[in-house]
Amino acid sequence: MSAGPRSLDAVQRWFQAVITHPEGVEGGVESEEAQEIIRLNRGELEAVITRSRNLTAAERMGVYANAYYARLLECLGECFPVLRQALSEDVFTGFAFEYLQRYPSRSYTLDKLGENFPRFLEETRPGPEDGGAEPGEIGWPDFLVDLAILEWTLAKVFDGPGTEGQATLTHEALQAFPAERFAEARLVTVPCLRLLESRFPVNAYFTAVRQAEEGEEVPLPDPAPEHTAITRRNYVVRRYTLTPPQHALLTALQGGGTVAEALAAAAAVTDLDDDALAGALGNWFRVFTAEGFFAAIE
Amino acid sequence: MKPPRLGHDNLGLGVGLRSVHFEHILVHQPAVDWFEIISENYIDSQGRPRYVLQQIAERYPVVMHGVSLSIGSTDPLDFEYLGKLKRLAKEVDAKWISDHICWTGVLGRNSHDLLPVPFTEQTLRHVVERVRTLQDFLERPFVLENPSSYVTFQDSTMEEWEFVSRMAEEADCGLLLDVNNVYVSSFNHDLDPDAFIRSLPHERIVQFHLAGHSNYTTHIIDTHDNHVIDPVWELYRTAHELTGGVSTLLEWDANIPPFPVVHDEVLKAKQFMGKHLPAPGPVARIAGAETPEDAPALVGAAHAAIASPHPLHHIRPEVE
Repeated sequence: MSAGPRSLDAVQRWFQAVITHPEGVEGGVESEEAQEIIRLNRGELEAVITRSRNLTAAERMGVYANAYYARLLECLGECFPVLRQALSEDVFTGFAFEYLQRYPSRSYTLDKLGENFPRFLEETRPGPEDGGAEPGEIGWPDFLVDLAILEWTLAKVFDGPGTEGQATLTHEALQAFPAERFAEARLVTVPCLRLLESRFPVNAYFTAVRQAEEGEEVPLPDPAPEHTAITRRNYVVRRYTLTPPQHALLTALQGGGTVAEALAAAAAVTDLDDDALAGALGNWFRVFTAEGFFAAIE
Repeated sequence: MKPPRLGHDNLGLGVGLRSVHFEHILVHQPAVDWFEIISENYIDSQGRPRYVLQQIAERYPVVMHGVSLSIGSTDPLDFEYLGKLKRLAKEVDAKWISDHICWTGVLGRNSHDLLPVPFTEQTLRHVVERVRTLQDFLERPFVLENPSSYVTFQDSTMEEWEFVSRMAEEADCGLLLDVNNVYVSSFNHDLDPDAFIRSLPHERIVQFHLAGHSNYTTHIIDTHDNHVIDPVWELYRTAHELTGGVSTLLEWDANIPPFPVVHDEVLKAKQFMGKHLPAPGPVARIAGAETPEDAPALVGAAHAAIASPHPLHHIRPEVE
């Protein structure tokens, strides 16, 4: 290789290519990306990195290479603790290791490190030719995706906008709203409210894992639709199981629909007749307002 | 002739704010002189971390310490990120903003590691220009820290202490001398840590960092997971003598013990201050101290009366 000072930009692009290579320092040095920047033959690393009294240049670079994956894998594990437990440490690490190569961090904050993990799990799900489910069938990968979405949502709600220090819509205020205008009214949901529709009961599984004794194995659930509301009060994330019509109603309201439109959405997914639905609504709104789902009625 | 600490306050003995200690700090309000936060944990937060920080900033002096500035990177400075730093600094009245002499990634990527730069004239010009730019932007005191490093480059044409000194002088910025990092890097690169510390422009040192590390015999890794070792305390003694005393902070980021253990660790610094006990500035001055000479004893008494207290870059969500 040619000696002499290299540009700072070249050194940094080379360094990054080497320490982030999935096959370690030697694989990184010999990679096409690194070789295009600094061409080194095997054993020539010390032309760029000095050795110390105790360690070779490759061993020293290894500190950074090891730290790169170790740090980010640990962080991903903390973002998805229940998914990690469901998959087992080794399998989770395998997924996460591949994820970091496909979606390396591009943010100043580690808080965004896992934002593409559910998408990655969806993108890399096995097809029928690899033993996966046929298109349209619900399978094991759907459990992983749904659980990842749940855990990511919990993290976002925890540190996102909330209602602390602000009044939310009370049941009394809702009841005081003119009845003749109620059908065309819009209920503004609080910014921390998230509504999830899952193919597996991942919220129940999340609870079961958290409540399990150390070392106790929690059986993986069978597929079953699950609807969940997630919000935050007093800076702590809260989870609520919803029925399908409750989820449809809240989804329509959150989307900006009127109360009448939201009721129609709820009615479309329930066997309750109109009277029974109307009867249930009072109790639903009592619970929703008590849990602070709405900021205002307009 | 620059004044000591570039004229900034000696805040006393502080602790790095970590989320596992939030509750302890809010409940017990320990007699810590000041807190340092990891900026990235708070600049986007709209939840509990930011709320806790606001309460702490009402009671204690706060300094912002970042890990993603990437001042040495050849990627452009991220002004969205800098804008967030600036807003938070105003909100918590940060005494100064700090980060590391390093780069964290290029081509838009972030390794989330403090990567080393080659100590060359080219790097020096690059870093100095960027420090000047961001100092103009932040409009708040800015200090840079020597990181722990595990490699050196054949291209380097100067030692780290020369690079650090020239950078600080040419960019007219402060220094955060991490005494443990000097020890770690000097061990890893077969250098003399004492000579490193003696070679710096001491009046530009605004803050010290102390921390524990992991010694693997062939090399040391800066793990921030243990007590400060004696040789590092001895280096601290030297640094204290050379600077006359500056704001000192203990970092503990893994296997974090209860707050009182962390707080007690930084209080050990008093044993190494010799005749140069801290002369608290206006912020750290304790009520009842008539003269600067009285203040140290009173600071000590306050610590003894409430023996208590103390980030990782990722804060775990609280879910009910």
